[in-house]
Amino acid sequence: MGHPWWGIAGALAIELVRNLVNLHQFDHWLRNRNRRDPPDAGGLWGDLVSQVSRLHRRKQFHKKRLLSLFRELRRSTASMPDGVVALNSANEIVWFNRKAAELLGLKRKTDFGIQIAGLLRVPEFSRYLAKGDYSASLRVPPRVGDATTLEFQGVPYGEGQVFLLVRDVTRQSQLETMRKDFVANASHELRSPLTVISGYLETLALDDTLPDDLRGPIGEMRRQSERMTTIISDLLELSRLEATDEQVVGTPIDVVGLLTLLRKDLSARDAKAHAVELRIESPDGLMGDQGLIHSAFWNLVDNAAKYTPPGGTITLRWWTDDDGGHFAVTDTGPGIAVEHLPRLTERFYRVDPGRARDKGGSGLGLAIVRHVLQKHGGELKIESVEGRGSTFSCHFAPLRLVRESVAKATDSRYSAEQDLEN
Amino acid sequence: METSDLSHHISRRFNEDLERVRGQVLTMGGFVEQQLAKAVSAMVEGDSLLGETVARDDFEVNKMEVSIDEECSRILATRNPTAGDLRLIVAIIKAITDLERMGDECEKIGYIAARLASQERPVDKYREIKHLGRVVQNMVHDALDAFARMDPEAALRVARQDRLVDEEYEAIQRQSITFMMEDPRAIRRVIDVMWVVRALERIGDHAKNICEYVVFMVHGKDIRHVRIEDVERELKQREQQQREGEG
Repeated sequence: MGHPWWGIAGALAIELVRNLVNLHQFDHWLRNRNRRDPPDAGGLWGDLVSQVSRLHRRKQFHKKRLLSLFRELRRSTASMPDGVVALNSANEIVWFNRKAAELLGLKRKTDFGIQIAGLLRVPEFSRYLAKGDYSASLRVPPRVGDATTLEFQGVPYGEGQVFLLVRDVTRQSQLETMRKDFVANASHELRSPLTVISGYLETLALDDTLPDDLRGPIGEMRRQSERMTTIISDLLELSRLEATDEQVVGTPIDVVGLLTLLRKDLSARDAKAHAVELRIESPDGLMGDQGLIHSAFWNLVDNAAKYTPPGGTITLRWWTDDDGGHFAVTDTGPGIAVEHLPRLTERFYRVDPGRARDKGGSGLGLAIVRHVLQKHGGELKIESVEGRGSTFSCHFAPLRLVRESVAKATDSRYSAEQDLEN
Repeated sequence: METSDLSHHISRRFNEDLERVRGQVLTMGGFVEQQLAKAVSAMVEGDSLLGETVARDDFEVNKMEVSIDEECSRILATRNPTAGDLRLIVAIIKAITDLERMGDECEKIGYIAARLASQERPVDKYREIKHLGRVVQNMVHDALDAFARMDPEAALRVARQDRLVDEEYEAIQRQSITFMMEDPRAIRRVIDVMWVVRALERIGDHAKNICEYVVFMVHGKDIRHVRIEDVERELKQREQQQREGEG
């Protein structure tokens, strides 16, 4: 004893034990910091404890605020009337709100991280997602054969992520179907009485005993009833075209024969004696519905004849290239002002309401052309320069083209006509 | 195997390959669902055009099967998948065969629907086909859902419905025999109807097969030719053991 080293060693040992105890208490508190009060310790340990507990309190505060913000967000999106699904770049479900779960039959516990196309397997929807073009919305049932109709609208954001908005549009689409049905039925019902009227008017017009002062009015009545017949048959054709969205497959059409026939028909009916030029630059034919394509092409040719003054030239051109097949009708008429071009294919749209009426069209021709082309996956383009003339062109995809031999072999409707001509 | 396990792969490309081919299977499933719905509706509504469309479009199903098959062979050859991934690929190869057969049955229904459309329709307007069709459509839908979610419990629930379809099939068969005895002139038509009912019953069987692959995929257990109740009991026992092992 008395050795100074022993004293120092003893003091160090006590200090070590104290530190170890503090360290143990600190560790114990850190593990259970949410339930226990911080331990009482003096000196450096005390500082450490108060620092850590301050940091902890601050973190707790932020966490609470974030959590309440998140809950608020979730509550607000849950009360949204539309369904929302967030998808990552692989089209896997990242998050969805309550309405989306209800509309699409998604399950909160299992469906995160699953590809949405795996659960919503309606082929049109898979195609919509795969295409990745969200400029338009899509209307499909949530599952094959379901009576409800949902409207999907993708909103891309970030790097390939997509917000998918879902709305129940069952009622709207039912109303739309009702409207279409109504137009079709009304047109159909109007046709029978009109046939009777036209019939009597025709007989009257041929009657020699008819007083001269009635000839004018009866002639006008005949013209108007003919116009009504055209409008009604065009309306019926449009509703038939609108009935399904499906593309037509059709049969091979001998386009060269069809155009030759169109020119002959035009020369026969044309009162204004236009020069009609036929420029056939490809012998290939087209896959499509023969009746529809004929009606579309005839509408374009007929329009050109109506609006081109006597002595003008109408050019029909058919050519093929890497982009597919193209048919264009060019006239030397008055042309159309630029502002009218986008609305030209709307029903009953008139560039000049006063003037156009006496041309005798139904106002539905271009709408029919557009629908026919849509059914063939094609496109209608209109170019026009005021005062110089217009070009209406139809464009078909390369897949729609068939070789001359195939078209001629399958489509023999025109060969007789051509033989006669030769 | 959980879906989240898939994301633990070292090779992200491999993972993407697997997910893509799984997506393709479900796209094919969606198309088959549509074919089935169209075929049943063509039959019930007497729509010959729709029936012909279904029969014509079957080539799409075949095309998808070939392309998925090739993709699976490529994954097997280049990635050498093991365990859960291997089971996924095996299950996919089997599932697409079943889907393709379903497509063939739909084609058959389409043909018969187109042929029957021109004939006089029975008074009950094929009500039994409509009903059986709905049950089978739901089965196919739920089986594919279970496949998408990798949910073996849902799969077993669907597999159990197959018995319902079989019973319905038996009932319609008995009814048809009565019809044929009452009115021999209707035999031709009733035989066609029997073909349709038979095709629907087969589609139900294929849907059940897909459910079995889901259980195989998740638990690595082959449950073909085993009673469903036994399977359920065993799976429950296994779950309990796992829980005890953890506790």
